[in-house]
Amino acid sequence: MTAEWLPITALAIALLVTGIIFVLPEESHRLRTTINLLAAVTNIVLVTLMVRRVAAGYEDIFSFQVVGGVDFVLRTDALGVMFAGLSSLLWLCTTIYAIGYLEGSANRKRFFGFFSLCVASTIGIALADNLFTFLIFYEMLTLSTYPLVVHRGTEQALNAGRIYLRYTLTAGVVLLLGAVLLYSLTGDQSFSSEAGLGDYLNDNRGLLTLIFALLVGGFAVKAAMVPLHGWLPRAMVAPAPVSALLHAVAVVKAGAFGILRVVYDLYGIELSVELGVITALAVAASITIIYGSLRAIAQEELKPRLAFSTISQVSYVILGIGLFGPFGTIGALAHLLHQGLMKVTLFFCAGNYAEELGIHRIDEMDGAGKRMPLTSIAFTIGALGMIGLPPFAGFITKWYLGIGAIQAEMYWVVAVLVISSTLNAMYFLPIVHRLWFRLGPSHGKGSWPDEQRLGRFETHGWLLLPMVFTALVSLAAGLLAGLPFSPLDWATRVANGEYLL
Amino acid sequence: MMTLLLALSLLWPLCVAGCSAWHAYRTPSSRRDYFSLLWVSAAWPALLLAYGGEAQWTIDAWMLGGEWALNSLSRPWLAFTALLWSLAAVHARGYFAAEHKQAQAGDQDVQRRLQRLSLLWPMTLLGNVLLVVAQDIASFYLGFALMTFAAYALVVHTGTQEARLGARVYLILAVVGEGLILAGFLWAAGEADTLTLQGVREGILIAEQGAWMAALLCLGFGVKAGVIGLHVWLPLAHPVAPAPASAVLSGVMIKAGLLGWISVLPLGHDEVPGALAQFGHVMLIAGLAAAFAAALYGVFQRHPKAVLAYSSISQMGMMTALVAMGLVAPDVWPLLWPGLVLFAAHHALAKGSLFMGTSISEHLPRWPLPLVWALMALPGISLAGAIGAGMISKWGVKSPLYEMHHESLIKLLSWAAVGTAALVSVALWRQWQQREQGGSNPWQWGAWLAGIMAALVTPLWLPLPAGSIEMAPLKEWLGIIWPFPAGVVLAVLGWLLTRPFKGKSPPAGDLWWLYAFIANAALVPIRLIGHACGKIKAASVAAAQSMEKRFMVYLSRGLAGESWLRHHSSGLMMVLAAVLAALLMWEGQG
Repeated sequence: MTAEWLPITALAIALLVTGIIFVLPEESHRLRTTINLLAAVTNIVLVTLMVRRVAAGYEDIFSFQVVGGVDFVLRTDALGVMFAGLSSLLWLCTTIYAIGYLEGSANRKRFFGFFSLCVASTIGIALADNLFTFLIFYEMLTLSTYPLVVHRGTEQALNAGRIYLRYTLTAGVVLLLGAVLLYSLTGDQSFSSEAGLGDYLNDNRGLLTLIFALLVGGFAVKAAMVPLHGWLPRAMVAPAPVSALLHAVAVVKAGAFGILRVVYDLYGIELSVELGVITALAVAASITIIYGSLRAIAQEELKPRLAFSTISQVSYVILGIGLFGPFGTIGALAHLLHQGLMKVTLFFCAGNYAEELGIHRIDEMDGAGKRMPLTSIAFTIGALGMIGLPPFAGFITKWYLGIGAIQAEMYWVVAVLVISSTLNAMYFLPIVHRLWFRLGPSHGKGSWPDEQRLGRFETHGWLLLPMVFTALVSLAAGLLAGLPFSPLDWATRVANGEYLL
Repeated sequence: MMTLLLALSLLWPLCVAGCSAWHAYRTPSSRRDYFSLLWVSAAWPALLLAYGGEAQWTIDAWMLGGEWALNSLSRPWLAFTALLWSLAAVHARGYFAAEHKQAQAGDQDVQRRLQRLSLLWPMTLLGNVLLVVAQDIASFYLGFALMTFAAYALVVHTGTQEARLGARVYLILAVVGEGLILAGFLWAAGEADTLTLQGVREGILIAEQGAWMAALLCLGFGVKAGVIGLHVWLPLAHPVAPAPASAVLSGVMIKAGLLGWISVLPLGHDEVPGALAQFGHVMLIAGLAAAFAAALYGVFQRHPKAVLAYSSISQMGMMTALVAMGLVAPDVWPLLWPGLVLFAAHHALAKGSLFMGTSISEHLPRWPLPLVWALMALPGISLAGAIGAGMISKWGVKSPLYEMHHESLIKLLSWAAVGTAALVSVALWRQWQQREQGGSNPWQWGAWLAGIMAALVTPLWLPLPAGSIEMAPLKEWLGIIWPFPAGVVLAVLGWLLTRPFKGKSPPAGDLWWLYAFIANAALVPIRLIGHACGKIKAASVAAAQSMEKRFMVYLSRGLAGESWLRHHSSGLMMVLAAVLAALLMWEGQG
């Protein structure tokens, strides 16, 4: 049985919802919410179907020719489905969260419309089977996130949006150049082709290296690798659900995913090693990891600290690619999911603190654990996971990266991991300490910056539910990593495909 | 059935912690019972589990693959661990009764402290139970880390200046230890491609750098076990922790380090490579050095709990030396290990009772004082090997060493036992000097008495393999007993000799003050460099800014060019597109 409708339907639903939302009037909140949630749930069902089919060994391909030699191709493979799964799961969570977060504010139609478009682009990125298709959705993502970043419309937001566009559009041009060069060299190259680019190695070594540098350099902007990370901390002015989506799956991860595709599916790991670019990637990732952590320590506000933490954490994925060997790959792929789950939790928490208590600065968080226990527990889970303590998801990744580094005999990577864990502890543990051990307004000392009673529970129920869910999932991803279809299990499956263990 | 019991013994502490958190938010403070019967029962399922027989579990879904087992080693270990945790919990209920009343009367500070303790006590227990049954690296590491970090709350409980210092030292060394352990595990597991402790043992045996892996792991676990040099937290943390916390800290938690060694070192293996045997010698010497040095330093301490902490270091030194024998003389290990486990179990209960005893001497019940001090001395005398389980455990260690002709080590251990006797005498003397009336709670002295009983008859209840432990033959008794009177006499002599010099006692935590001094001294040049760097940075920023300003002047001339570009942008785009298309076509032809 073939099911070529599967990938295109998943994409079409997200696009369709975007259209419907833009057509619906601003006031019909209930209808919009229903359609939005319905589509998100349908998408999860579709991705589950894909996962089952991929696990059973089927691949569904949808393609049509755009012009001669350039095809639009969607394909369900293990790696793509993994990313699609993450984005559809987090679409549901962030949508629920956004509904609670934006309740009563203006321009919700625009917001949810572009939000769906943004998710549609990530699904397209996940399922794209060649560079052409990939780039279409990649640029669509750039454009659809801009209105979300500037949603508040303040001077600061517009500034951040301008910088965001400047970075990403320049990167887009670089990418385009790389893609054109590659097409001119090899023609249409499917991500699934077994051959790779090995045939061109002898004659075009320099050109291949140049193309690699152009492509990875282009993707590195969205993946926020130092020194191309400048846009990310500024984009923090976006509303919390946008930051959550941006950091967990949409933009930053799209960049990392692009690099994954280039290294594993376009060039092939052997060729990348042959060209010697893989070590360069590992070094760049290590620099980013350490630099991001150091800058995070210096931040005094919660969201910028989380932003720099993202810069550091996403490069773990790149670092894993840079370790030649199956364990590094497993670590990288698992971290793609783990980091998404943990970071989205942390941003939900940051949003909750800001909405309920008006907390933006870290020194305002004293004793918040008593006032908002669930949020604080979720934050603690996310923070400890980021540090890489067992039994949380982050530990699994760090373990695999460490083992991968030892087996690749790149001992300095272990040092990088240890240093970054220590730095992570240095910027997350003080927050956890403040939450639980310091005395604050909830003990009758001072008052919260801007306290509101948003709901019956510690805050609005819509804000609470997705946060608790993602926190539990990121706990389970570590505690029950051995279960079939856990992130680790799926990452192992993909890595087996790459390395034919 | 066993599986159910295992699940229960891991989930029960979690439930207890959950209940305690629930009460914090739901029950009004005036009716809150921090140390309820439920709380006291946290370790009971684990105790039951230890007596349920041997069993093995493999849980693929658990983290990196769970391997848990109750074997001939982990059963007795779990038994004494869970027993001491249970007794200490009962003791705690009595010990904190006064604070409990304060909390119910509305003292918010006390409420918070008790809340923290009642929540993190079962978590510490959970970590400890998990690490005993774990046979895979991830579970073991999880248990160890959980125990280590949750125990911070136990040390810092009173919140005084000294308590904060003790807790800080504890935490700093714990973090160092965790780092070393993780590095060692990663290295060994990466080389051997394994996820179990068994695999680590085998990997260390065959790996080229096995001795270094062993060294990393040993130092990491050594922080807990109080290896000389890394022991400084013990005498600083013990005196400030509440008595029941000190009891579990010194009784079972430092034993976790010992269990760590036994779990990762290829002890008693036929072909120990030379480098590893060399490492064994280093460990042996370090152990003996700790055994003697701690005794010599400890007798001059003023605080009874500090004296007892030094006694723990000294005792752990002996155990270190015995573990090292597994590398140095592997043939002795199969006979030696049951004796070592008995030694550890007996020390756990005896030291636990001694620490609980310190809370009794601070709140003396209305009993005849000679009776109280006789009871107080019993676990100490047993620890020195003169009565009860102490004799049997000494013999359990000695007889295999005799059999394999390691007489010199036996002699050294006997002299170390003299040190133990002296330390215990000093501790009891300090307790006498600092005794206070006040009346103990029945829970408090009940647990203490039960602890003494359990310590004296350890071999009766410890589920060791049948026939592995025997009573010493009558002719050997003198050889086992003599260190005790010798130690007491030495202590009295020393007291008489040093009485004329009313000197100050050396500070607890010995080397810590040296470390802190070195760290501070090292910070001075770093600060200077940092200062210089800051200056350089400021200067370069200023220079760059002036350069930028000059550059911007030139650049603003470019504005004209920009407006030209704006006017012709569409045309330029077309040209670019044409160039790209031409490039494509040209390549297509080629």
